[in-house]
Amino acid sequence: MVFSSILFLFRFMPAAFAIYYLVPKRFKNFTLLVLSLIFYSWGEAKYFPVMIASIVVDYTASGLIESHRDNKLICRLGLIYSVVFNLGMLGFFKYTNFFVGNLNALFGLSLPTISFVLPLGISFYTFQTMSYTIDVYLGKVKAERNIIDFGAFVVLFPQLIAGPIVRYTDINRELKERQINLPQIQDGIKLFILGLGSKVLIANNVGALWTEIEAIGAGEGFLSISTPLAWMAVFAYSLQIYFDFSGYSLMAIGLGKMLGFEFPKNFDFPYISRSFTEFWRRWHMTLGSWFREYLYIPLGGNRVSKSRLYFNLFVVWAATGFWHGASWNFIFWGLFFFVFLVIERMGFKQVLERHSAFSHVYVIFFLLLSWALFAVTDLGMLGDLFTRMFVPVGGVDWIYYLRNYIVVFILGTVLSTPALKGLYLRLEKNNVFCLVFFGAIFLASTAYLVDATYNPFLYFRF
Amino acid sequence: MKQVKQLLRYPVVLVFFLFLFGYTLFDLTQTDREYSEFENKYLAQKPPFTMKAFLNNEWTQDYEEYINDQFVLRDDWITLKSVCESMLLKIENNGIAYGEDGYMFEKFTTLSGDQRAQYDRNLGYAMTFLNNHQNDNVTFAIIPNAYAIMPEKLPAGLEQIDQLGLIQEAYAQAPESAGIVDFSGTLTEHKDEYIYYRTDHHWTTLGAYYAYAQLMQQLGQEPVALSGLDGKTVENFYGTYFSKAKKFDAQADTITYYEIPDAGVTIDGKEQDGYYDFSKFEVRDKYAAFLRGNNGYTVIKSGVRTVEEEQEPSRILIIKDSYANSFAPFLLCNYDEVHIVDPRYLAGSLSQLINEGGFDEILLMYNFSNLVTDTNLYKLGY
Repeated sequence: MVFSSILFLFRFMPAAFAIYYLVPKRFKNFTLLVLSLIFYSWGEAKYFPVMIASIVVDYTASGLIESHRDNKLICRLGLIYSVVFNLGMLGFFKYTNFFVGNLNALFGLSLPTISFVLPLGISFYTFQTMSYTIDVYLGKVKAERNIIDFGAFVVLFPQLIAGPIVRYTDINRELKERQINLPQIQDGIKLFILGLGSKVLIANNVGALWTEIEAIGAGEGFLSISTPLAWMAVFAYSLQIYFDFSGYSLMAIGLGKMLGFEFPKNFDFPYISRSFTEFWRRWHMTLGSWFREYLYIPLGGNRVSKSRLYFNLFVVWAATGFWHGASWNFIFWGLFFFVFLVIERMGFKQVLERHSAFSHVYVIFFLLLSWALFAVTDLGMLGDLFTRMFVPVGGVDWIYYLRNYIVVFILGTVLSTPALKGLYLRLEKNNVFCLVFFGAIFLASTAYLVDATYNPFLYFRF
Repeated sequence: MKQVKQLLRYPVVLVFFLFLFGYTLFDLTQTDREYSEFENKYLAQKPPFTMKAFLNNEWTQDYEEYINDQFVLRDDWITLKSVCESMLLKIENNGIAYGEDGYMFEKFTTLSGDQRAQYDRNLGYAMTFLNNHQNDNVTFAIIPNAYAIMPEKLPAGLEQIDQLGLIQEAYAQAPESAGIVDFSGTLTEHKDEYIYYRTDHHWTTLGAYYAYAQLMQQLGQEPVALSGLDGKTVENFYGTYFSKAKKFDAQADTITYYEIPDAGVTIDGKEQDGYYDFSKFEVRDKYAAFLRGNNGYTVIKSGVRTVEEEQEPSRILIIKDSYANSFAPFLLCNYDEVHIVDPRYLAGSLSQLINEGGFDEILLMYNFSNLVTDTNLYKLGY
C-alpha cells in the first residue's frame, strides 16, 4: 500500500489510527505490528513469509549475540548469520537478474532470469535490521528481548517502504515508552499533509512531463526532441524525484509523530547545496549516514592512507549507486558523485566556498546531469539524451511544455529552497491559517488522487 | 470534558480526524454506482475475493480501483482537480490538450513501439482485405483527426505526429484495384466550418457530409444537397475528450442530425425502429444516438428511394469504426440498402457476408487513431 492513495487515506488511515489510539498502552506495539503487517501484505501477500523471516532472523541473531557476550565465535557467527541473510535476500531478490544478465552478455550464456517483483521496501528494511544486529554486536545497544516490540520496529508501517532508514537506536526508547500527545500529533498531521502535497501536487504534476518525454525517447528516440525540451525534461525529473522522495519521507515522519515516534530527518533543502559534499549531507540523509557508519568507517574511513581513502570512497559510492537499482546506470550514477567528491576533497571545495554564485551553478548543472544518468536505465538512450542536451538542436516543441508547466516549475523551484520557510514558520502559529492552508492541500491532493491517471511509485527498484 | 477542551486547542487535529472519520463513514454508507455519465465510463465494482487473486495481487489492485471509482462525490472531486489544474495554468489534462477556440485535442506526440506495431499490423490487415477483394469495388479511406486538418488550432509548439503524411504512405501501399478516397483535401477546404467537434474525437455530421459528397462524386453519383434535408440540432454535447479532460469550463458542442427516411432497420438480426436512438440525445453520451451506437451488423433500407419490382436493390457495404455512424445515413439517398459492419462487434465471417451480400460498392473506412489502437481488424481476413 502506498500513502498517496484513496485506499490509504480513507480506509487504512482512519481504521488504523482509531484502533491504535483506543487500545490500552500495553497493547499498542502489538497493534502496530499487526497493522503494519496488514499494510505490508496488501498487494505483497506472498512476501509475508519473507517479512516474518526477516523479523525472526535478526531477533534470533541479536539474541544469540546478547546471550553469548563472552564467546567471540558465537557473537561473530550471529553477526554473519544476520548479514548473510539480509544481504542474501537483497542479492537474491534485487540483483539476481542483473548478474545473470551480465554473465549472459559476457560469456554468451543463456542462464534463465527470475521473474518476480521486488518485495516492497526490501532495500530499506534489510538495511535497518542488519544495522540493528551490527549495533548489538558492537555493544552499542542491548538486544531487544520482546519479539513483538522488535517486530513492530521492523515493519513499522510509516517508514517501511520508502524510508527514512530508521535505525533501532533512533527509536528504541520510544518503542518502550512513548508519550502520545496532541502537540506531536498536530505536528505529525501537518508534516503528513505537506508530504502528501509534495508528492501528489508537485512531484506527480511535474513528473508527467518527464514521463512523456521518456516515452518519446523510447519511441522515436531522444534525438527527435529539441535541446531546450531535453533540458526541461531533465529539470522536471529533478523536481519530481526530490518532491516525490522528500514527500514520502515527510509523510513517514508525520505518521511517525502521529504514532508517537520521532524519526530522523531525511531531506534538508538539498538543491541549495554549494558542493556535492554538502549535497549528500542534505539528500537522503539517513542513507548517507547509514553507509558512513556501516561501510565507510568499517573500511577505515578517512584515517587511512590517501590511496586507501580513495578506494574506500570508491567502494562506498559504487555501493550507494548500486543500492538505488540493479543496473549499470545506477553504479555510474554513484561513481559520478565519487568523482566530484574526490575533486572537492582535493581542494576544489575551498574554491567553491569563495565563489557563491559559481558554486550553485556548478552543483545544479552537474546534478541535472546526474539525474539524467539516474533516470535513463538504457545506456543507448542515455547517450542520445546527452547528445541532444549538448549538441544543440532548435525547435518549437518546448514552447508547449513550458506553457503547460511554467507555474509548476516556478512552484517547485521556490519550494525546493528555504525562501518561504520563515514566512511559513510565522504563519504556522496561526490556527486559522493552518486550517485553510492544510485543508486546501489535503482536499486538492485528494482530488488529484481521485482523478489519478499518473501516480507512479518510483521506488519499486529500491 | 478536560480532554475536549484540550482538543479545542489543537484545531488541526480535531478537524483532520473529524473529516477523515466523517468522510470515510459517509463513503462507506453510499451505494455503488454502475456507470458514470460524467466520465462516460463503467465504474469498477466490488471484486469478488478469491485467495488466488489475492496472492497474485490482482484482487488488491481491483479493490483499490473499486474504492477510487466509487469514492463518494467522485465527480465533484474530479471537477475540483480540474479547477486546480486551471489555477496552475495547465493547458492539458489526462492527455487532452486545450487548443484555440475551445478545441480539445488528444495528444499524439509519438507512435510508441507498440502503437507502431499495431498500426502496421492493422494496415497489413487492410491491405490483405483490399487484395482479397480486388473485384468487389472496394474503396479505402482513412479519416484524419481534427488536429491534422486544423493544425493552427493546436496549442503553440505541440508537435503531433504527421498523420496526413502517414495516411499518404498507407494509400501508396494499396493495390491498384482499390479505389482511394482521400478526404484530407476536402476537409481542409472546409476547415473554417464546424466539421469536427471541439470536445469529441469525431467529425461532426457536417464533416461527414463533405466526406460523403466527395465519395459520391468519386463513384460517379450525385450527392444529395444538404439544403434539401431536414436538419435538427441537439445542444450541450460533451464528448469523449471532455470525458477524459473533464475541463470544468469546457465549451459544449452541438450535434446536428438528419432524419432521412428509412424503410426498415435491422441490427444484428433484430428489427429496430429507426437508426437513431433518440434517448441517447438526452444523456451525456449523445454520439451513441447515431446508428444506435456501435453494433456488429446493421442493415438500413432506404425510405427515399423506390425499388422497381424484380429489380435487384443497390447495396453499399461500409466496414467501419464509429466515425461512419453519422456518415452512413446520407448514403440512403444513393443506395437502396446500406449495410454497415463494425468488425469489433461482428460475430460471423466477413467474407461470407460479402460473398452472399451482392454489394455494388464496399467502403473500408477508418479513422487514423483507431487504426493505431484497434485490435479487431484481423477480422478483415475472415
